[in-house]
Amino acid sequence: MTPSHNMFTFLSRQAVTAATPMILAGVGELVGELSGVINIGIEGTMLMGCIAAYTVTGVSGHGTVGLLAAIAAGMVMAVIFAAASVWGRADQIVAGTAMDLLGMGLSGMVWMMYQNWRENLGFSTALLHGSGFSPVPIPVLHDIAYLGPVLFDQYALCYITICLCVMTWWVLHRTRLGLIICALGDAPEACHAAGVRVRLGRSLCLLFAGASSGAAGAYLSIMQTHAFATNMTGGQGFVVLALVIFGRWKLPGLIGGCLFFGLINSLQQTLQTARYTSQNTALHALTHVPFQFFQMLPYLAAIMALAIMSRKAPGPRYINVPWPEAKT
Amino acid sequence: MIKRFLHRVWNSVTAVALAALVCAGVLALAVGAGALLGYPPIHLADLWLRGAAGSWYALSSSCADACPLLLTGLAAGVAFRAGVLNIGAQGQFLLGALVAVALSTRMMIFHQADLVIPTALIGGAVAGGLWGLVAQYLERYRSVPVVLSTILLNFVALYLAQAALQGPLQALGTAAAQSPEVAGKYWLPLFVPYTDFHIGIILALGLAVLLWVVQQHTTFGFETRVVGLNPGTAKAMKMPVTIRQFQIMFISGACAGLGGAIQLLGQVHFMTAHMGNYGYAGIAVALLGRLNPLGIILSALFFGFLDTGAFRAEESSLALPHDMANVIKAVVILVMLVLAGLSLRRARRAGRDTPMPPTPPTQESTL
Amino acid sequence: MAATSLALKLTSISKSFSGVPALEDVTLEVAAGGVHGILGENGAGKTTLMNIIAGLMRPDSGRMEVMGVPVPLGSVRAGRAHGIGMVHQHFKLVENQSVLDNIVLAVGKYIFSRRPRKLLREIDYWCRELNWPLDLDVPVGSLAVGRQQRVEIIKALCGGGKILILDEPTAALTPAEVDELAAAVAGLASAGMTVLFISHKLVEAVRICRTISILRRGKLLYSGTVADLSVEQIAEKMVGAKVDVPRLTQTAGHTETPPMLELVDVDYRPAKRGPSVLTQINLTVRSHEILGIAGVDGNGQSALAALISGAVNPTAGRIVHRSSGPGKAPIRFGYIPEDRHKEALVLPLPIVSNLLLRSYHQRPFARWGFCRFGAWRKHSADLVRQYDIRCRRVEDAVATLSGGNQQKIVLARELSQQPELILAVNPTRGLDVGATAFVLRQLLEARERGAAIILIHGDLDELLSISDRVAVIHRGTLAITAWPDTTPSQIGRLMLGGAG
Repeated sequence: MTPSHNMFTFLSRQAVTAATPMILAGVGELVGELSGVINIGIEGTMLMGCIAAYTVTGVSGHGTVGLLAAIAAGMVMAVIFAAASVWGRADQIVAGTAMDLLGMGLSGMVWMMYQNWRENLGFSTALLHGSGFSPVPIPVLHDIAYLGPVLFDQYALCYITICLCVMTWWVLHRTRLGLIICALGDAPEACHAAGVRVRLGRSLCLLFAGASSGAAGAYLSIMQTHAFATNMTGGQGFVVLALVIFGRWKLPGLIGGCLFFGLINSLQQTLQTARYTSQNTALHALTHVPFQFFQMLPYLAAIMALAIMSRKAPGPRYINVPWPEAKT
Repeated sequence: MIKRFLHRVWNSVTAVALAALVCAGVLALAVGAGALLGYPPIHLADLWLRGAAGSWYALSSSCADACPLLLTGLAAGVAFRAGVLNIGAQGQFLLGALVAVALSTRMMIFHQADLVIPTALIGGAVAGGLWGLVAQYLERYRSVPVVLSTILLNFVALYLAQAALQGPLQALGTAAAQSPEVAGKYWLPLFVPYTDFHIGIILALGLAVLLWVVQQHTTFGFETRVVGLNPGTAKAMKMPVTIRQFQIMFISGACAGLGGAIQLLGQVHFMTAHMGNYGYAGIAVALLGRLNPLGIILSALFFGFLDTGAFRAEESSLALPHDMANVIKAVVILVMLVLAGLSLRRARRAGRDTPMPPTPPTQESTL
Repeated sequence: MAATSLALKLTSISKSFSGVPALEDVTLEVAAGGVHGILGENGAGKTTLMNIIAGLMRPDSGRMEVMGVPVPLGSVRAGRAHGIGMVHQHFKLVENQSVLDNIVLAVGKYIFSRRPRKLLREIDYWCRELNWPLDLDVPVGSLAVGRQQRVEIIKALCGGGKILILDEPTAALTPAEVDELAAAVAGLASAGMTVLFISHKLVEAVRICRTISILRRGKLLYSGTVADLSVEQIAEKMVGAKVDVPRLTQTAGHTETPPMLELVDVDYRPAKRGPSVLTQINLTVRSHEILGIAGVDGNGQSALAALISGAVNPTAGRIVHRSSGPGKAPIRFGYIPEDRHKEALVLPLPIVSNLLLRSYHQRPFARWGFCRFGAWRKHSADLVRQYDIRCRRVEDAVATLSGGNQQKIVLARELSQQPELILAVNPTRGLDVGATAFVLRQLLEARERGAAIILIHGDLDELLSISDRVAVIHRGTLAITAWPDTTPSQIGRLMLGGAG
């Protein structure tokens, strides 16, 4: 495939690849926020997913085991966060920041210990060949023009993400469970009066969010890059938070936002290299721009998006209000 | 009058007593966890203590490390107390350092240390403050939550700093994002020679005391407290809510920016984009100090000792990852938050329909 | 109805909140079929008892039987399974979900079915039975309060409800709506339902209920038929010592004093392209008078309060204050807001600070920007004595005080600065009789001192007892009534939008 032949297809495919972890983490965060808990700690949770997936895959040699480990790690993080914010009535935002710090610290610590351990044993810390994931083209479907390479030549987790999105949409909009989740964040007292245990419900939503953020971390380490680096999520978790607001707490809006950011991201990466090779003078002129400005783009775009959108977005009413409310 | 004043100081001290208890517990846990992971606990504790306070020099480097923590802690504490959730101390810290490095390696005013040092410090503080104001502007006029915008602006600041450090501020003869070293005459003077005790530490302590006086004894401090606890009431009482929030954001950002500038001129003397997690750690410092500037001094010292000890433990034969210190900070935040949440609830629950409540006054009830 | 069949039997229920008893050894029997009133003043423990019956709260001790079958306490689902449904005073509805979704959320059995057919049939049945046509697909938040209550009642009946608990159902209704509700309740009772009717208003309870129980300070004082007691006896049991409800003795007839506040053709629209919340408001209030504004909740009262207090600006029209003195100093304004926790108090701060929220920056209390806490303490000690605020120390957090004492703090702060204009919104909501009388008396005293008072109040009886003039707000328009030359029932009709 020559670049000029299909620049657009190439970019779209990259966008989907880059957007997948954000969508995965975003779906979880969305469910959590709908139930009234904002989790700033998804960045840390994703990091824990990254390191858990990487080390377990490295030790066991099986990517699937690594993925499961990442999900478990995410859920452990969710349990800690739920214990503090839902049951311990901690301020969700500050507790979430603590979870970020915890994720950064713990993942860095585990990474160092893993390296020491492997080197002492005389092994390399790189993944064994074939133990990570590579893209799995779906037979027949991946031959469709444009859609084929963009949607059906991705990592396995991408397909799972698509299913997860459909399922989440169905649950939120077509089942009583969806009504309960939304009511947890909008009118917890109504849930309480209906016999739904508010704190338990919120904790379960957080558990789901933790699992999906952990899986998103696994995607970054054992699928997309086959490597681990400290703080490798690079703020994607925070961008996801912005995108949930940007999508006005709606699933399609969130997915659209993630894809848009995936596109910006793949665009900036492509631009960083293409500006040197391209014959196009306009592109070539960009060589004078420091590449950090391209790296900055997603964050600037996130701020812009929020500045434009969040005016009209009401959002769940009981975000960051612990249950039961302290009233005299 | 004096008695009242002492009473106030005492209140701040008792606030810290509980925090100290938490710290002890968490430290014990950490050593226990270390033991589980195969680090001999006695040896570990010994190394840690010796690394943090074993010698005059170790002591000074712990204090020097506590200095930026104190300033970012003040940044978080001042903001949180006024209900402004500034999580962007990291970015403000970086920009402060960036402006300071520019003013001390590229644009030295008359090449006079007496002029360069103050302008670099003030420039750093103003840069941090302005960076904070961006977030507050976005919150007030574009309804972007301050929490999100400050976090995202942290990354923008990071790349901005990197761009500058590989661009106009790059040191000669290197490809890395790194500034040239600040000339020795522009370093912050030491008040104990051959240690790390630089006057930035005294400056930071003075600022903490000043902020404590402002917070506890002025109408400005009272207003910000009310604004933070209940903006609706503050508005109904005709307090200038928006102005106070902007002012607090500027003060908060300026503290963090000053922290970056002091760290640069006093401690590291050249800049890379990785100047430590001081911004995020400041949140832990502030919460452990219960948002009280005097308490923040103590908790910053505690974390300074913790960090320095952790680095020594990493350099030693044990090779304990220094990220352990970050984990401890995170646990401290969570424990302090839960304690605060539960104690508030207890106080309120006790208030239900009782004319004479059997509860002691709440922790933070010092006007 | 056979006297032997008991719908509900509670045995020695006790409940205390962190050492303070809310219910003490309550034993209660309610016969099946009929309307049973639970009377008591605010804070007597009625709602706590009902929450226990509905399973929302677990008592410290006690047992409950429904239709002779023991029911585990502290479980909403167990209560529901035995046919207990509760309509709370503050509705437990999700405002942005539709009527049907609200019912499914509360009553649905299965977690994945959003449109259970059986439930739809049941809703349909009750709507026809009660003759309440309900549009199931509109968001609950867009309905008027009376309609929301119907949704709540149907929600409580669905899923095989046999015992219906109505907690202060009349608090937000107009007299006519109360009559409709009474008729519906009577219908349900005659169909064999047991209705528990909670109220602190004696007159309507006596009218609607056949049997009553009276609670005072967590103790059950009486349980039996209404006919056995006179109204005075019931009142005495409810309140204990007799408390005089303050009353205006003579209405102000004078209109020659210049107006303190005038609203001229005021319109208010919260969102740029949204609907108007207030239209063409004209209102004048003079010193030495109380202008009462009656209305069903949610007809624009909060917007009106926000306008008068200056929190928002009108979209059209003007608000004219009489400025006092030649220096055009703004008039002194006292504000007793509806939600004291949101607009008047800072709960974690001590009483002293809360008492000085308005005057902290003025001369004796601050100098050169520094607070003078000695002056603060002296001032607040005076106010605590003067307004009879029950507290241990002025340094205690306001959160540790009872609702009545919190309201006294608001009153002390707002009235001690001798305001010329006072705006009070539902100032007695949630207070017991003693505190209510205290608040009303303070307002009357302020009127004596020459203040102009606007009283926006949901309790029509209290409003009429102390107002010089009465206006009615309905759907954002204000109509001045001929009070005192008109009857309360005519005002009630105006509140519903009818012609006076």
